[in-house]
This record gives sequence, C-alpha cells and structure tokens, in this order.
Amino acid sequence: MDRMNEGMPPEIGTAWKALEARASERAARVDVERVTARVLERLRREGAVEPRLRWMSPAVLRAAAAVVVLVAAAAVVRVATERSGQAARLPVGIPAMDSLSSHQLEAVLQAAGEVAPAADTVAPAASGGSLDDLTEAQLETLLASMNGAEG
Amino acid sequence: MGAPALSVDADGDLIARYLGGEELAAAELVRRHASALARFIAAHGAPEDELEDLTQETLFKAFRALGTFRGGASFRTWLLAIGGNVLKDRRRRWRRDQVVALTPDIRDPSGDPGLEAEAGWTAERLEQGVAKLARLQREVFLMRAQQGLGYDEIASGLGISEGAARVHYHHAVKRLKAWIA
Repeated sequence: MDRMNEGMPPEIGTAWKALEARASERAARVDVERVTARVLERLRREGAVEPRLRWMSPAVLRAAAAVVVLVAAAAVVRVATERSGQAARLPVGIPAMDSLSSHQLEAVLQAAGEVAPAADTVAPAASGGSLDDLTEAQLETLLASMNGAEG
Repeated sequence: MGAPALSVDADGDLIARYLGGEELAAAELVRRHASALARFIAAHGAPEDELEDLTQETLFKAFRALGTFRGGASFRTWLLAIGGNVLKDRRRRWRRDQVVALTPDIRDPSGDPGLEAEAGWTAERLEQGVAKLARLQREVFLMRAQQGLGYDEIASGLGISEGAARVHYHHAVKRLKAWIA
C-alpha cells in the first residue's frame, strides 16, 4: 500500500519523491558500522541504562520528593529545637559560672554531658556530646568563664 | 500483514537479549534501523554533517531508555519518536545557523525558480516547508509519507490519538501544498 499518495496532491507527491531521494542519498552516506561501534562504545562508557531516577514514574517521584521534604523538615525542626534549648541554657548558666570554682564547673560540665545525650536520641552517646553541639562563640564564652573563675 | 509482525517479534527478541546483557543484540538492532532513522532525520532537513551524529545520539538514547519500551508501537516507530525529540533539541542550533542561508528564500518566496531545475526547486521548497511545520505535523507527515506507517502505529509511537495523527497529517499536507504553490 502506497500511503505516501494518500491525500497528497500530485504536486507535493512529485516534490516529495525528489526530497525523499535527497534524504536517502544523504542517509546512504551514514556509515552504519561506524554508528554501531560508536553507540556500543558510548553504552559501555556511559552506562547501558539511564540512571534509575530519570525513569521513575511521576507518582513515585512525587512520593520520593514528599519523603525528602518530610525528612528535611524534621531535621530543621530538630536543629531548631536543639539550638533553642542551648540558647535557653547558656545565657542563664554562663553568668552564674563566674562565681563557680573550677571543680564546680567540671561538675556542671559533667552534668551537661550526661543530660545532652538523653535529649538527643539519634546521636550516639558520648561524654562530650553536649560540648560538640556548642558553637565556637559559645565555647569561647564558656572557656573565658572558666578562666575567670580560676583566676 | 505477517511480515511486519515477524519483524516486530524479531526486534522484541533482540531487545530482550540486549536487556539480558547481550551487546551483540544491540549491534543488530542498530544495523537494522540506522538507515531508516537516518533517512527520517535527513528528511527533517538535518545538516548532512550532523546526520551521523544525530543518528548515533538517537540510538544511544533509545538503548539507554530501552527499559521503558512497552511495545505499544514497533521499535522502529519508537526510535523515530526519540529521533524527533533529539531533533527538537538540535533545532534551536540549526535555526540559529540557518537564519542567514534561508533568509533570501524566506523573504522572497516568489524568487526566480527558472534558475534551477523545477524538480530540484520544489524539493528544496518542500524541505523548507517540512522544516517549518509544527513538530507533530512534521513527525506525523514523515512517519506516514516516508516510513509508510499507519495512523494507529504513528499514534502509539507519538502518544497521541489516531484521530489527532490523521488531522496532523492532513494539516501538514495542506500547509506544504500552500508553501510550494
């Protein structure tokens, strides 16, 4: 069946034959064996399968995106909660430290080390866990307080 | 009717073998379809010096996406549809590069055709017309006129309805007729 001529005016049919002849002539110059070798070489080099994520269905992608957003939101809330907890502890505690002796300060720090891991159920318990969570500025303030108490 | 079905089955076997890790099956698929794909791309007006690269790029993308091939259309039709996508990406560059070359004809479509052989001139005009068609019109037209595909097959390959494929084809013919008149 010659579908080419279906509904095609003769003037287009004639032009089309000429165009098709040109297209065929150009296509004939394509070296199929070279194309084959290059395609196989690229598949070997770049991987035969598109990264999985690109071929997930939109529904799966939406679900994955929702999970990522939830996890990120939970992380943000956790960090914000921890920071607000520290912010509440330190300003209250630090001024009072000026009057503490080094032994008393060590006791306070030990207590902090015991309390902090319990507040964070995810991080592994460590003796210096709460100190690790302090910012550099907070640590400097704490050390300055300790020095002042000893001096 | 039997021959196309056998051909599709054979492609299906090769696809299964390739997905099973047999690289030679991919080589056979490339050898089987590369020429038709190159003709399809050439009829879009692709520059000759990019034709091989476009053919290769289309085949590469097709093999990487082979896991998504569901067999609704034949592998050949699916490949042509991917070729259409690759061409779409390249078209911007061609448009930029061809502006200068095409401008005289576009500005003066009634230029003296007597300077060239009538057939060559109309073929050239038709090629310009094909390039100017809307993307779906162009792809449907070429799939039908060049590859001889049925509307149902074209519709499956392009993810459109059979009626839409029919309409695109007839609009394409109408526009091409007006363009070369």
